Amino acid sequence: MTLFLLPYLLGTLLLVVIPALATLALAFTDYNFIRPPVWDGLDNFRTLWASPLVRLSLRNSFLFLALAVPLRLLGALFLALLLQAKRRPFGLFRAAVYLPTVIPEAAYALLWLWLFNPLYGPVNLILAWLGLPTPAWLAEPGTAVLAIVIMSFFQLGEGFVVLLAGLQNIPHALYEAARVDGASAWQSFWRITLPLLLPWLLLLTFRDLIMSLQNTFTPTFIMTYGGPYYATTFIPLLIYEIAFDIFDFGLAAAVLVVTYILLGLIALGLFNLSGLNADEITF
Amino acid sequence: MLQKIAPLILLLLLAAGCSQVNAGETVSFMVFGDPAELAAYEDLVAAFNAGHAGLEVQLRHIPDQGAYRRRLATDFAAGSPPDVMLLNYRRFATFVDQDGLAPLGPYLAESEALAATDFYAPTIEAFTLDGELWCIPQNISSLVVYYNRDLFDRAGVPYPEPGWTWDDFLARARALTRDLDGDGQIDQYGAAIEPNLFRLAPFIWQNGGEIVDDPQHPQRLALDEPAAREAFQWFVDLQVKEGVVPDAVAEAAESGESRFLNGRLGLYFNSRRGVPTYRTIDSFTWDVAPLPRHRETAGILHSDAYCLAAAAENKEAAWTFIEFANSVTGQTLVAASGRTVPSLPAVAESPAFLDPDRPPAHSRVYLDAIPTLDRVPLMTTWAGIEESVSREIERAFYGQASIDEALESAHRLTQPYFEQAE
Amino acid sequence: MRLHSKVKWGARTLAGALLAGLFLLPLYWIMTASLRPAGLPPARTVEWLPPSPTLANYPAIFEMLPMARYLRNSLIVVAAAVPVTAVIASWAGFALAQFPDRPRRRWLGLSVATLMIPGASVWIFRFQILRWLGLIDSLGALIVPAFAAGSPLFVLLFYWTFRRVPPGLYEAARLDGASAFTTWWQVARPLARPTTIAVIVLSFVLYWSDFISPVLYLYRPALYTLPIGLQILKQLDPTGWPLLMAAATIMTLPVIGLFILLQRTFLGDNSLAELLDRN
Repeated sequence: MTLFLLPYLLGTLLLVVIPALATLALAFTDYNFIRPPVWDGLDNFRTLWASPLVRLSLRNSFLFLALAVPLRLLGALFLALLLQAKRRPFGLFRAAVYLPTVIPEAAYALLWLWLFNPLYGPVNLILAWLGLPTPAWLAEPGTAVLAIVIMSFFQLGEGFVVLLAGLQNIPHALYEAARVDGASAWQSFWRITLPLLLPWLLLLTFRDLIMSLQNTFTPTFIMTYGGPYYATTFIPLLIYEIAFDIFDFGLAAAVLVVTYILLGLIALGLFNLSGLNADEITF
Repeated sequence: MLQKIAPLILLLLLAAGCSQVNAGETVSFMVFGDPAELAAYEDLVAAFNAGHAGLEVQLRHIPDQGAYRRRLATDFAAGSPPDVMLLNYRRFATFVDQDGLAPLGPYLAESEALAATDFYAPTIEAFTLDGELWCIPQNISSLVVYYNRDLFDRAGVPYPEPGWTWDDFLARARALTRDLDGDGQIDQYGAAIEPNLFRLAPFIWQNGGEIVDDPQHPQRLALDEPAAREAFQWFVDLQVKEGVVPDAVAEAAESGESRFLNGRLGLYFNSRRGVPTYRTIDSFTWDVAPLPRHRETAGILHSDAYCLAAAAENKEAAWTFIEFANSVTGQTLVAASGRTVPSLPAVAESPAFLDPDRPPAHSRVYLDAIPTLDRVPLMTTWAGIEESVSREIERAFYGQASIDEALESAHRLTQPYFEQAE
Repeated sequence: MRLHSKVKWGARTLAGALLAGLFLLPLYWIMTASLRPAGLPPARTVEWLPPSPTLANYPAIFEMLPMARYLRNSLIVVAAAVPVTAVIASWAGFALAQFPDRPRRRWLGLSVATLMIPGASVWIFRFQILRWLGLIDSLGALIVPAFAAGSPLFVLLFYWTFRRVPPGLYEAARLDGASAFTTWWQVARPLARPTTIAVIVLSFVLYWSDFISPVLYLYRPALYTLPIGLQILKQLDPTGWPLLMAAATIMTLPVIGLFILLQRTFLGDNSLAELLDRN
């Protein structure tokens, strides 16, 4: 039986774990790619702590998380509730909602670069046609983050699918019983649906937080490269810039380590808050 | 049995070892650039390989500068950097400081085909650190102004002439900024320039200012000093006050360069880099003019050079290639792409570069600029400084901050970089 | 009562249709933007259909760049990587599902921990390891992550599926004298069909979109894949939207095709629900 596990273990060890551990070690060195690393202790972490840019990126990343994750989850929940019916057209609707998730990252980023074009892109042209104000989107710091959040919203397919599954696992009998007792639709939702979906929602929150902290890289890299004026400099792009523009890989590794620790803390926090233990999540 | 086989095996191993020593030497050469440049480098490498039996140069081409840097980093980290690489003078100091390069000065001194005096002096100087020449310069470009002759003709505006001033430039830019269809939106801008430090620098020098306090031993930025600040204000006013260049929204909607390529812009600031693309323009005629001058005449050096990795195994072979690439033959081949202003006067002053039948007709402009070229300081942390300051310049340029806010941020954020570079 | 029900369903269907339309808009726009003739001045009003639509942009990008080669390379990578990923993830999930409690939780915890590792951590050192394996500058460098099952997520998906299989089934197979491999092939695998499909689609997208790996690990332009092609095109013509959208469409259509072909299976009525049923 272990034989079956071996390829995955070996592959992950070689291609993921060892490089990641090497990077962890690098966080404690001074390394510019050319000369071999020189042990530096906590120097990188000190620089990191004092760096206004790192703080700004952390703030940007958390702002993005605070906006995108609830929006995606609530959106996924709403859509799952609306489109769960087993009737004819709903299968198509469900497929349509999932579709943007499947578009490859680079193509997706280019597409939205075009859609958000402040003068000629469809989004502003439609807003103008409706008589609404036309924001500058990626050209201004305030609206640039919003643009990335909107892009992220359209790719809520994964959460949508998981919640669909979760909804289908709720025994119909419970709703029947509630209706017999005279409960309204809202009460059914609040008392039956939501509690039973809670583990799914938490799992999704966890996964979404991880993903959203990491998958802003391609959009920000292709569309704005961190601009305008650092507004879209999230952690992944910052790490990239420190590594490949400034060539300070020790510092970049330190930021990676801090990111990982923060993710771990968030995960722990979530698990504790929900009262679930590892076994329930992983069944 | 083993006793019989063993000598055979030994013999085979020896034979294999011997054949390795006699095999052709290979030199890896890494470059970045668009397809036109790639074609020129392919010609260069092919010409070299054809003329040098036993040596083979392998070309590694990376499409853009960002990817190129990423690639250099991973190659160096893996201990297998390319033998020969192209580096810009603003970035090579890091490699020198980290012992990544082998100095080419000694090779040049002993060379019978090339000498330091064959090159334009500013390029040799730009790649000299601590009295040692590290790389052999390939080009000596600078910031110039490309203009759309047809647009000027239609508006009845005279072309830029040598010695024109900031005021001349502003007047022309104003005249060419038009709302052609009366919808309240400007369709045609007079000029466009990228709002970053590398573009701003020559204007600062032209006003008698400096970028850093001491170009030889920089300790801090000097952009807040009166002369520099004044130039910065003028630069920012081009957008904020005069509106002769696209604002943030217009630039995001369509880049200044794209507007120029599509005939909707009068004056575009760029280095020689743009020429291969501009040569594909067939809807209007264009030419090149020198930078407008102010109190002083000054330009900014753009230069890349061939550098040799310290870890390269076949250094002699690599030098043979670098020597060839910088011979009259080699530089002529690369100049065919239109992308470079050759660093050898012998090639720059020849029809290979000056051919008036291939636009720009006045390529001489690049050569006339050479005597007044200044350069940014050679620092190991210059990339970080340029990046930080450019972001501040950009936000002031688009009216998202006052120049004093931008200057204060710039000085504060770059302080660590100056300290790090000792 | 019946009227009320009908109105309710009518409203729901309408809302569903509108929302579905909203989510289809991005795809719609990639495709219509690619049909716009390249030289026209930019649009001033919303264009639901481009003026004088043309397919000319598609051959144009194949001429500007060796797009056909990039497409071919991308196809080679997914053709190799996707099956390998599906098999290795399936094996790993199968194995984990049958582990006793303690080791199982440990491995699962490790998988989750690995899932959280930011992609950037492995960029540089994976290069060293690939160099050691002799895979630099070959498509193998892009295929080899398949041996790490692409992503721990796929292993987890299979794990959840196989956990749902009543242990009795495995026991029965073992009593019949089946080897572990036969058990997997004949008993477990057919039950995990929806998951396998899901993993196929998700891993296809993973390898097809991979943007950083080709730049870091490939030297020769002859080996470049579609994402790099897109980047090169964007450099050549940063605001040539019709051409860029044509390239984006070429990159997107195969994935959409695969998805439409297979979506019924994993978005369909009961499949994924059964997969994730906690009962």
